[in-house]
Amino acid sequence: MKKTASFLSRLKTPMVILALLVIWELCVRIFKVKEYILPSPIVSLKHLFLAQPDANYNWLLHIRITLMEIALSFAVTSVMGIAIAIGIAWSSAIKKIAMPAFVFLNSLPVVAVAPLLVLWYGYGLKTNILIAFLVSFFPIVINTTVGLSEIDDDLLDLVKYLHGTKTQIFMKLRIPNSLPYIFTGLKISSTMCVVGAIVGEFIASDRGLGYIIINSQYTMDSPPIFAGLMLVSLFGVVLFGLVSAAEKLCMPWHFRVKGSD
Amino acid sequence: MKKRMLATFAVAVLVLAGLSAQTTKINFQLNWSISGDHAPYYVAIEKGWFKEEGLDVNVMLGKGSGFTVQMVDANKAQIGISDAPVPIEAIAKGAKLKIVGIIFDKHPNCMFFWKDSGITKPQDLKGKTVAVPASDGHKVMWPAFAKLIGLDPNDVKFVNIDPTAKPAALGSRKADVVFELYTGKPFMEKAVPADQLGWIIWADYGFNAYAHSYIANDDFIKNNPEALRKFLKVSYRAWQYTLNNIPEAIDILSKYQPINRDDFVANLTAVKEFFKTERYKNFGIGYIDAARMQDTINTVKEKGVDIKGDAKDYYTSAFLPNPPYKFNY
Amino acid sequence: MNKRASLAGKILPKLLYAIVAIALWQALIVVFKVKEFVVPAPLAVFKSLFSGQKVAENTWWVHISTTLSEIAVSYIFTAVAGFFLAILICWSKFLRAILMPLIAVLNSLPKIALAPLFLIWLGYGFAANVTIAIIVAFFPIVLNTTVGLDSVDEDLLDLVRYLNASKLQVFMKIRIPNSLPYVFSGLKVSATMIVVGVIVGEFVASSQGLGFLIKDSQAMMNTPPMFASLFIISGLGLGLFAFIGLLERLLMPWNRREEGGEA
Repeated sequence: MKKTASFLSRLKTPMVILALLVIWELCVRIFKVKEYILPSPIVSLKHLFLAQPDANYNWLLHIRITLMEIALSFAVTSVMGIAIAIGIAWSSAIKKIAMPAFVFLNSLPVVAVAPLLVLWYGYGLKTNILIAFLVSFFPIVINTTVGLSEIDDDLLDLVKYLHGTKTQIFMKLRIPNSLPYIFTGLKISSTMCVVGAIVGEFIASDRGLGYIIINSQYTMDSPPIFAGLMLVSLFGVVLFGLVSAAEKLCMPWHFRVKGSD
Repeated sequence: MKKRMLATFAVAVLVLAGLSAQTTKINFQLNWSISGDHAPYYVAIEKGWFKEEGLDVNVMLGKGSGFTVQMVDANKAQIGISDAPVPIEAIAKGAKLKIVGIIFDKHPNCMFFWKDSGITKPQDLKGKTVAVPASDGHKVMWPAFAKLIGLDPNDVKFVNIDPTAKPAALGSRKADVVFELYTGKPFMEKAVPADQLGWIIWADYGFNAYAHSYIANDDFIKNNPEALRKFLKVSYRAWQYTLNNIPEAIDILSKYQPINRDDFVANLTAVKEFFKTERYKNFGIGYIDAARMQDTINTVKEKGVDIKGDAKDYYTSAFLPNPPYKFNY
Repeated sequence: MNKRASLAGKILPKLLYAIVAIALWQALIVVFKVKEFVVPAPLAVFKSLFSGQKVAENTWWVHISTTLSEIAVSYIFTAVAGFFLAILICWSKFLRAILMPLIAVLNSLPKIALAPLFLIWLGYGFAANVTIAIIVAFFPIVLNTTVGLDSVDEDLLDLVRYLNASKLQVFMKIRIPNSLPYVFSGLKVSATMIVVGVIVGEFVASSQGLGFLIKDSQAMMNTPPMFASLFIISGLGLGLFAFIGLLERLLMPWNRREEGGEA
């Protein structure tokens, strides 16, 4: 009985997504929506799986490229984001210099400066990852910084009274305390890496799902657009789920009663 | 024995040197993402014509004429496609490039609208809402066209839209008029049924400026004139072949890029209309008419750009193929 | 005396920072001989901003105020909607299961890819831009607030339940106050994203505003107004971020926020 319940509860997310697809299909049929506006999900999915005598889409190649970009940019963003945040929390001098620069950078709409980036760095993986990084680094930096600073004052006083060094405070107190913040930042950044990789492909690539999406948009070919978008959001949800799973592994003590009581 | 080895070695070195000296790498910057009028380059690649002439051409997708100009000026791309007024303005502002060949002879700028809007001539645009992306050549050249037809450029209300939203803007009637190349008609027809779609081609009302053209970096012209000549020769040969064999050209294009074949055949068929001019019939594809080029330069001057120097600072016909290529009408 | 010194102490370094950055920019342009139609010099940018001339058929003030009002309105709605969604998610396991994946999906989609759809559904104008901005920027607030509402000390929860507190009381008296640091973190991230969201909205469809100005001047290779717009936009993001920081210090004065640099 318990096993069935836990199995069903793990199916929650896929079922929600399935329900969404059904509603989408029904809407297209009932409201007779024109294909160039919103194609039915079935037509879009067909485009993925059937051999297309009409066009060379090579979905597997493009999926592979996009996945690689997402994975690489998430790795880069996580590591560098956390490192930057540690630097900021460690020294208020670094904070005064770096923070305004990062806020400034994050408010810059990447889509506007993108042509300059391509002009300087050319098309390719490097530029893609740069763009994805610019889009997704900020949540991790902010959340981690906040997490490293939000220490219970009494705890801090106690450790100082016991002559804890700055490093000890960092390693034993600040970092463990900041884990919930870091993981939340990682969750936000994970979906932003997906967006960033796709936007990077819009701007600086001739391969990948983003490329197919933007190309199909210019030629008003909507089934591939939505097939691509479905894959993209699938990647986003999966990555988000992976980070959540990692969170449960790293902080098992944190997950007891969730809000519902 | 040693002599023979030395001789073979010498020959091998010479051959390799000769081969490598002959292959020139060219980064070719398109003006936009893939459309039917890019088919010729892939035809040339598929049939090995670039390779025959010792050219290794890397086709790069584009982001508008302005971006192509920046890339060619920086020599990140040696040759590119751009709407003529844009490089002209850039050259006046110090860009190091020249126009070296023409693509569309008849200007393909056009406007689309619902037939029931009552628009029958361009002057009817007064007071209407026009949706066009800011980076679009139509927006850049609108003031010149407005003047030509007797309208004040500000007589229409412009809405900037994302380039992907052109058909949506018209289909949803969020705008009265959309500026788009005539060759984009097959795509507009997805949003507005063909029998309700109206259009006006700017050239039919006297708009004479040059549009899509080949541009090349000044240093590249100076150091590799033969390579440029060969590039244009192959490209115009490919244009001839493409216009004579549209379905096959699109088949080849679809091997390299993800496209919908039917739409692109319609698109390329429309492209052909803008090559079917008396001028191209007589002088061949790519011919640069001096008077018309001067008109184009004057159009830019009227925008308020300070045009220094004379026409030869802006273009050259020296690299066009001789004899020129012509296609079946 | 002390107040004045501390105020100067706050503003002076930032001013110095800005001056150094601008000087560096000018130097790079001269050293690398960058042409104006690629990147303009600082002087050209200032001239364009203060010349009093119209850009893209409207004065600078019209563009700035359009974007500024879009930012203000959408940010308020984002914060409210985000907070409200988070409460819903935390309140009910059922809603959590439904809303969380949906929100993750929505956030993974590049909004600019949906431009034609947005144009059809929302048209163009103030309301459309605000809607797009909210969709772009609400995620960090929802997520951070949810985590904040969840992360309550176990013992505290047990104690309160032992005292027969209702679910609502637990929410109002414990979860919400406890979540404030997380909420502010989310608000800060969303502050910069809302600016981007408004600009994306203007890129999708607009006839005025700083995003419109960027696209318009970019097309004409008229880089001074384009760069001026970019700086104003980033400045707005910075301003909003700083404002949230200020709000935070006012609402949570008990947070001494020790920096790592003090031992």
